[in-house]
Amino acid sequence: MTAPRPGAPRPTRRSRRTLATALAAAGVLAASGCSGVAHGSASSSQAAAYRLTARTPAPVGDIDSFTWSIYAEPTSIDYAQSYDYPPNQILANVCESLLRWNPNLTTSPSLATSYANPTPLTWVYQIRPGVHFHDGTLLTAHDVVVSLSRNMDPAVGSDWSYAYRNVASIKQTGPMQVTVTLRTPDSTFNEYMATAPGTIESAATLAKDGTNYGNPTDGVNCTGPFEFSSWTPGQSLVLKRFDDYWDPQLRAKSAQVKFVFLSDPTARVNAFQTGEVDGGWMVPPDAYGQLESSSAGSLYFGQNTTVAEEVVNNLKGPLGNPTVRQALLMAIDRKGIITAGVDGVGDVADSMVTPNTWTGVPSSVVQGYLKDLPGYPYDPARAKAMAAKAGVHGQTVVIATSPLDSETTIVTQAVAQAASAIGLKPQIDTVSADKYTALFTDPAARKGIDLFVTFWYTNITDPLDMYVSLETGQFANYGNWSDPAFDTALNKAVAAYDPAQHAADTAAAQQIAMQQLPWLPLYSDPVSVFLGKRITGVQPSIAYLYYPWAAQIGAKG
Amino acid sequence: MSARLETARAVAVAALRRLAGMAATLLVTSFLVFSSLYLAPGDPVSFLIRGRSPDPQELVALRHRYGFDKPFPVRYWNWLDGVLHGDFGQSYLFHQSVAAVIWSRLPSTLLLVAVSTLMIAVVGVGAGVVGALRRGTRTDSAVLLMVTFGAAVPSFVAAIVLRSVLGVRLGWFPTIGNGTGTLDRLHHIVLPAIALSVTFMALVTRVTRSAMLDELRREHVEVALSRGLPRRTVVRRHVFRNALGPVVTVSGLLVSGMLVSTAIVETAFGMSGIGSLLVQSVDELDFQVVQAIVLLVVAAFVVVNTLVDLLYPLIDPRVAAAGSAR
Repeated sequence: MTAPRPGAPRPTRRSRRTLATALAAAGVLAASGCSGVAHGSASSSQAAAYRLTARTPAPVGDIDSFTWSIYAEPTSIDYAQSYDYPPNQILANVCESLLRWNPNLTTSPSLATSYANPTPLTWVYQIRPGVHFHDGTLLTAHDVVVSLSRNMDPAVGSDWSYAYRNVASIKQTGPMQVTVTLRTPDSTFNEYMATAPGTIESAATLAKDGTNYGNPTDGVNCTGPFEFSSWTPGQSLVLKRFDDYWDPQLRAKSAQVKFVFLSDPTARVNAFQTGEVDGGWMVPPDAYGQLESSSAGSLYFGQNTTVAEEVVNNLKGPLGNPTVRQALLMAIDRKGIITAGVDGVGDVADSMVTPNTWTGVPSSVVQGYLKDLPGYPYDPARAKAMAAKAGVHGQTVVIATSPLDSETTIVTQAVAQAASAIGLKPQIDTVSADKYTALFTDPAARKGIDLFVTFWYTNITDPLDMYVSLETGQFANYGNWSDPAFDTALNKAVAAYDPAQHAADTAAAQQIAMQQLPWLPLYSDPVSVFLGKRITGVQPSIAYLYYPWAAQIGAKG
Repeated sequence: MSARLETARAVAVAALRRLAGMAATLLVTSFLVFSSLYLAPGDPVSFLIRGRSPDPQELVALRHRYGFDKPFPVRYWNWLDGVLHGDFGQSYLFHQSVAAVIWSRLPSTLLLVAVSTLMIAVVGVGAGVVGALRRGTRTDSAVLLMVTFGAAVPSFVAAIVLRSVLGVRLGWFPTIGNGTGTLDRLHHIVLPAIALSVTFMALVTRVTRSAMLDELRREHVEVALSRGLPRRTVVRRHVFRNALGPVVTVSGLLVSGMLVSTAIVETAFGMSGIGSLLVQSVDELDFQVVQAIVLLVVAAFVVVNTLVDLLYPLIDPRVAAAGSAR
């Protein structure tokens, strides 16, 4: 499964951030001189001083409305065109999938009351009766067939077609039953039904709206706790509570949510401070200090599956030698990056995925996998000796970067420093935000580039979501790395339905990847969320991309 | 034929000439912009597929749907044909018609530009006049100081300072959004308008002050004053009116340029407008939207400058006389 989009990570964020970054940079100057809102270096020195919150304090009651900030405006809220933080965090509250991805990263039934896997090639979903769409019509098995099949229609061009790559057919097999038939066993298909690819929309609405489906005028018509109300392009998108919602557990506590689009990070932080905005995901790390001590609200951290990775794009140059890649990773001051880039709120990555993505096996087993992996502690002297032995001294490596955010800049500097430390000649190639996005999509744009950073999240609770992208010939395997043993282990894992076997095969693939280092894992950092003093109740977690998180937000006592 | 009629004819001819010039300018610009976008590195389809593994069949379908598969001249002709029929096309990014995309953002930008223009006219010209009339005094020094300072403050710095001091610290003005209702909208637009116009105000003040000083030194002014005409009348009728020429020219250029320089201010204050839309559309190669905005800006340039030219004979009758003598 090519999951390059999370790797072309935050693509819209990227493209709109050039201006925002200029503003942010100037904001630091102005803040220290004029407004006194800059936080001192005290907070940056407390490394790893953060705490994960599973659930913020329960609300005391309902609330009329709250305002939520998003760093960019979605271009569409069609689920098939939604593969980015802005559309997904809105849609999570409006449209539901067959299954639900919970904040603790487990899955549970949603629009499907149950599912079965009678043969390795079939997944049978029992559809929940009595569920209303926002227009009042009832959910049928036909809606499910149409909504899922749409992802396979080339004319639609779904962002999620890769989740369906092994699907042969989707058919109604009972009054409220849908059966998906696969071409080859695929253990991840069912997991994807808990996220955007499993979204169910009214078939009638899809037929009526055509290519206008999901645009600011037509919106969407789904089954979630909130319904689409209005969208003022460039400004805001408003959802209102859906009174006929089927699940009393997740009935919306707010009558309305207003999403406002604020691309400038400093503008978002200011709006938190003044109370003009009640909250937002993805708080700029350089504002952690000032928001933690703010009386305007509280800053929380939650589970994440994102790892910052340095992609080795050119395996023909000096980095073609695995020893040199290992040496480079050992020369990167990853703790330093965390301190400078995310204000100490993060952890050095031991592998290319976060430990919480492993499911179906006891944590002791996961720990065992991690222990078996080769470690790459910060040791520039040893790294230099390794590189010298490999005979790459004085060779040039080109590191691509773009002035997107402070994290990207800091990572690039640290990697360049590490390259110098092992005797390579780093050359930083600063490209426009636009061209940086193209690195993830266009092989021509990647020519002549040795290294670039990506922030990669998994969409499901499964390390395979990440490792499959390193398979030979995969779209997101940017450096065209190839290892037959890795591919074999990987394909075994995809086909393995037994959780223990699935995990063991995935771990075998991971072992090879971490030995060979086609990508250099740098660090992981938690999801951040700010809640103003009026609201509470959200469960901070990366699941906010697919779970109706806004329904749980109510009035604070 | 009376002089008045003569003037009217001159103005009409000039206006017609302008109109033809404008059409030609728009045509040439549209071609240049279209071809530069065409030549720009990057493939719009890469934004549509957003990094997914492209299925060849899907790529063909997408290219065909948005007309990317046609040769350049055909694409340009199709676009031009649509525009001539009042259809600016479809934004592939927003899944809406270009007209709808622009129309929803234009009012806020126009309001911003209008308020900024008012500020430039009142504060900029006012300070320039005061500075010139009080030449060498403390007031004049204060004006000069402000001009130097204002000209050196880029709008993004002004935006940040205004936002954090007047918005966050003092809480006098909202820091984000466009507002609803007339009063609320104006309240929201004050800080962005100041941030946008501060540099331009300084520029206009400087031009006004030096133009006024030039006029004050003129022989006819000295004669008028020495003959005992009231200073107020002389300043109004002989100094200010003559000094207005360069001021109006500069202001015209500034105002039309402001339409695009709103991008930074709009981003800083979380407003939706044409400026930020342009930046985004260029970034993501949304050809149709970029084309429409550029044409809009070019049209604004031409219209404003035409207006300036048409104002000229009214401000200074010598211009009209020169025109008719030709």
